[in-house]
Amino acid sequence: MSNVQLSCSALERLVARRTFPLHRRTGVCRNLFGPVDHDELNQEMKSKMREISERDQQRWNFNFETNTPLNGDYEWEEVPVDKTPVFYRDSVQNGRTRVPATPTKQKPDTESVLPDTPRMDVLERLAAPESSGSGTGTGTGSPSPAEVNQENRTDKLNSGRRTQRQVPCARQKRTTSTDNNTHITDFFVKRKRPADRKPNDVGACHLSKSPIPVEQTPRKRIR
Amino acid sequence: MAHTAGIQYEPVAEIGGGAYGTVYKARDTESGKFVALKSVRVQTDQNGLPVSTVREVALLRRLEQFDHPNVVRLMDVCATQRSGQETKVTLVFEHVDQDLKTYLERTPSPGLSLERIKDLMRQLLCGLAFLHSNRVMHRDLKPENILVTSQGQVKLADFGLARIYSCHMALTPVVVTLWYRPPEVLLQSSYASPVDIWSTGCIFAEMFRRKPLFCGESEVDQLGKIFEVIGLPPEEEWPTDVTLSRKNFPLRTPRPIADFVPEINEPGAQLLLKMLTFDPLKRISALNALEHSYFRDEETLTQTKT
Repeated sequence: MSNVQLSCSALERLVARRTFPLHRRTGVCRNLFGPVDHDELNQEMKSKMREISERDQQRWNFNFETNTPLNGDYEWEEVPVDKTPVFYRDSVQNGRTRVPATPTKQKPDTESVLPDTPRMDVLERLAAPESSGSGTGTGTGSPSPAEVNQENRTDKLNSGRRTQRQVPCARQKRTTSTDNNTHITDFFVKRKRPADRKPNDVGACHLSKSPIPVEQTPRKRIR
Repeated sequence: MAHTAGIQYEPVAEIGGGAYGTVYKARDTESGKFVALKSVRVQTDQNGLPVSTVREVALLRRLEQFDHPNVVRLMDVCATQRSGQETKVTLVFEHVDQDLKTYLERTPSPGLSLERIKDLMRQLLCGLAFLHSNRVMHRDLKPENILVTSQGQVKLADFGLARIYSCHMALTPVVVTLWYRPPEVLLQSSYASPVDIWSTGCIFAEMFRRKPLFCGESEVDQLGKIFEVIGLPPEEEWPTDVTLSRKNFPLRTPRPIADFVPEINEPGAQLLLKMLTFDPLKRISALNALEHSYFRDEETLTQTKT
C-alpha cells in the first residue's frame, strides 16, 4: 500500500510540474540567490524543529515525542477510550485515508467468515436491490427496528470495500476518492486551481470506474 | 480476510500498538478547563509532511481564529517526527465529556423537551452555517461527532484532519454508518454542502425518537428506507449522472413525517421535511433553516412576554 502511494504521489508531482511552466527547466532559468548549502539548511531546519518541539512541550507540559506527561500547569491523566467521546481517539492517516489507531471494541466477528461469500461490487448490489436483503422490495412498517445496532454490522455497513482490483494504483485512487476521506481543503483547491488538479485527480478517478463517489465540485454538477 | 492480509496488502501502520487504548486528557489548573490530545499519525515521504496535511492544518487554524461557539476549540497543533516515514501530528482540543449519542442515550424516558431540542438544533445549525460559509463541508455529521457540554452547548467536531473514520480501509474493523447519508451520496452523484443538511435532518428526527430515523444495511437498503418515508422522488429529480435507476425502487408516496416523529410540532415537521428533501438543490440551507418559523416562534413568544 505504501509503495503504491509513493508512486502515485510521484506521478502527481510530475503532472503538477508539467502544468506549471515555471518549474520546467528552460534556458531562462537563473540562479538568483547563489548555491544552497543543503547540509546547513538541513541543520537549520532541524534546530528550528527542535525549538518548536521544546516550545510545545513547555506550553503543554507534555512530551509529545514519548507521549508522556510532565509536571506543570496541566494535570494530565490517561482516560480509557470508552470513557470519552469517540472523536478524541487517535488515528492514522495514510495518504488521505484515516483510520482510528485505537482498536475498536466492535471487532466484527463475521469478518473471518466473509472471504468465502461472493464478493460483490457496490454497483452490482445497487443494480440488484433484491439481493441485498431486508425489505427493500417488500417495504412495510417503520424504518428502524428497535434493537438495531450498527456496531455488529461491520460487514454490511462497510459494503463496497471488498472489490478486487488488479491495478494497485486504481485501488489507491478509489480509496482517496471516497466521500469520507477527502479533505476539507480539497474543495478549496479544486475551485481555485482546476487546471492543476484536473489531469491527475478527477481524470484518473473517472477512468478507474470507481464505484465510490468521485468528489465533484458543484461547478461540475451535471443536473 | 485478516488471514490473507499479509499477502494482499502491505502493512501501513501498526494499529492498536502502544498506549492507544487511552486518551490523554488534562485539566488546566489555572483556568480549570479540560483539554484532550488526539494524535494523527501521518505517512510522510522524502518531502516530509504531505502538502495537503499542511494546508489542512492551516485551514483548521484559520477557522479557529473565529472562535465560533459551536465548533470544538483546537488549542494547538504539535508535530513530532517519529521516523522517516511517519510524523505524528498531535491536535490539542478542548475536552468535552459527551457526544450527542451518549447525551441522547442518557436522557431519561420521556425524552428531551421540545425547547431543549430546539436549542440543540439552533446551535447545530449555527455551527454548520459557520462551516459552510467558510466553504467547509463536514461530510460525516452524526451524533458521535457532535459534542454536547455539561452546560448544553453544542460543538461540532471531526471535520478535516481530525476526522477519524475512513470508509474503505480493508484491514481495520471500522464501522462506517450509512444512516445519516443523503441520497446523492448513496447514489454516488455529485454533492456539496447540502449533504450536511440531510444528516442534520436525520439527527433532528433522532432527537425526538432517541433512535435513528433510517437504519439501512446497505446503500440500496438505506435508499429504500428513505423512500418509505419521503416517497419515491419524481423521475425529473433523479440525478442523471448515476448508474442506479429509479426503476429499481417501488413506487411510493410520501408518508406524513409525524408517523415517524410523533412528538414533533407543525413548524418542526415542516423544517424537517425541508431538510429531508431528495433534491439537494431544493434542500434548505443552514442559514435559511435558522430563519425558519420553527425557530422564530420562540423569539416572538419571548418578545411578547417582555
